[in-house]
Amino acid sequence: MKKKVLIIEDDFTIQTQLKTLLSGNGYEVFAVTDFSQTIQQLKEFAPHLVILDIKLPGNDGFEICSEIRGFSDIPIVFVTSSNTDMDELNSIMLGGDAFITKPYNIAILLAKIAALLKKAYLSPQTEIFTWKGVALHLESSLIEYKGQKTELTKNELKILYYLFKNAGKICSRNDIVDFLWDNQLYVDDNALSVNITRIRDKLAAIGLTDFIKTKHRQGYTL
Amino acid sequence: MSGKQYLKNQLPVILINLVGMLALALFLIASDNNIQTVLFILAVWSFVLALCLLSFYFSRKKYLNKLLDMTEQLEERYLLPEIMQVPEQADEQVFYQIMKMAEKSMLERIGEVQGERKEYKEYIEQWVHEVKTPITAMKLLCENNRSPFSRDILAELENINQYTEQALYYARSEHTEKDYSVREINLCDVVYNAIADNKYLLRQSNMTITISDIENRVYTDEKWVRFILNQIIGNVIKYHAEQPILHFGATKTNDRIVLSISDNGIGIPESDLPRIFEKGFTGQNGRTGKNSTGIGLYLCKRLCDKLGIGLTAYSENKGTTISLSFQVNDFVIGVQG
Repeated sequence: MKKKVLIIEDDFTIQTQLKTLLSGNGYEVFAVTDFSQTIQQLKEFAPHLVILDIKLPGNDGFEICSEIRGFSDIPIVFVTSSNTDMDELNSIMLGGDAFITKPYNIAILLAKIAALLKKAYLSPQTEIFTWKGVALHLESSLIEYKGQKTELTKNELKILYYLFKNAGKICSRNDIVDFLWDNQLYVDDNALSVNITRIRDKLAAIGLTDFIKTKHRQGYTL
Repeated sequence: MSGKQYLKNQLPVILINLVGMLALALFLIASDNNIQTVLFILAVWSFVLALCLLSFYFSRKKYLNKLLDMTEQLEERYLLPEIMQVPEQADEQVFYQIMKMAEKSMLERIGEVQGERKEYKEYIEQWVHEVKTPITAMKLLCENNRSPFSRDILAELENINQYTEQALYYARSEHTEKDYSVREINLCDVVYNAIADNKYLLRQSNMTITISDIENRVYTDEKWVRFILNQIIGNVIKYHAEQPILHFGATKTNDRIVLSISDNGIGIPESDLPRIFEKGFTGQNGRTGKNSTGIGLYLCKRLCDKLGIGLTAYSENKGTTISLSFQVNDFVIGVQG
């Protein structure tokens, strides 16, 4: 089941773009448009998580937050452009779960949302991806094919994770490197090639050839 | 108080006394007094006069020197009328009144200027916060419509964000005490965040990043350190050489944790090195084509001073190492233990 995220943000562009971004990452998204009815709309949509701006027309984010806390414990992520300590302190005191300042790093925002959802709802998600009979075990950092397993390094695991997540699509080299950087693995273009070669060698050792295909000038695909 | 000037000021008194002496001498001689008696009386008069003048001079000098000392010790000298005794002499009281008036108008002016400054600072803060909304919107737009073109825009947005942050922190740097909270932070988190803030710029310049052993806990304000690191990384990107490398490392000594940021860029000439933290100093690198404002490192130094972080730069021909040294004092260790 898709997790539902509610966006309470008055800037129209950010609102729509955030909607696109989160929908693209597998969430069901709803954005509040009538700020006099925020709480009603929230109750109707019954989200799993709320993204809340502080500066809003009418009631500000703090007021909305304490109102929500009156009847619900759903995770609330404060998003604001003012990064003063007072605001951060206020948001924590009122029961906010995270405080992110604009312009936020998109990867960090997504990671925070995922982490909060996981913590709040303890989804028994098995951290295994499968594609064409190949299984990627995230927890144990292994890849398995027809009963044969091989261990992966951190870089290799993250690269494969990205390819598995976007299985069937072409992943450009740049996007893969971006993703690795978002995970604090600062590899460059050359290192990526080296890592891909190593993964292919490892896969060949468990009897899997031509699993990662190179699309000339475009990137890689599974 | 100079003695000569005092003597000059007392000239009328001396002259009147001299005329008096002359008149008395003439009168005494006319009334058949012996010349010795006249001379004796005149000598006594002169002696008393000199004694009077001297004692007045020294007592005045003592009083005025005390005032001078007091003024010199005062940090805000215009506040002297608040702490000095109200003088007893009539003319001095007038001067005292004048000083009071001057003080009042000075205080009013200062209040006015402070108010204006505060308003301006608030305006800058508000402006920065407002401009962050469109920056965020553009970032999201680019992120949702990825292309080589959006990548370049994202890099430029990072630049814009750095400049706006600079304005914000410049405005705030005067009153840091109002806006920082010291917490235990992990050095690697703040380094990762700073790299993330400059991701597209770093990628654009093909920077190789290496990180070693920065899993250290320090007590400081994360926001400020992140800003300082951003400025330093900004310089690394600006003055990079071919095949640029950026290295983060940390060393721990008894009472300090030193985070060093080194690059293999064009470096800083030895002659410029002592002045790079000065405001507006652009140096040789700044003059040779690279657009430099001389604000970034100045702000870093200023913030570091306020946060109690030691900031040093080292450069030898090629490459620069900037070190941030965080104090781990007994108090902190005591709390930890």
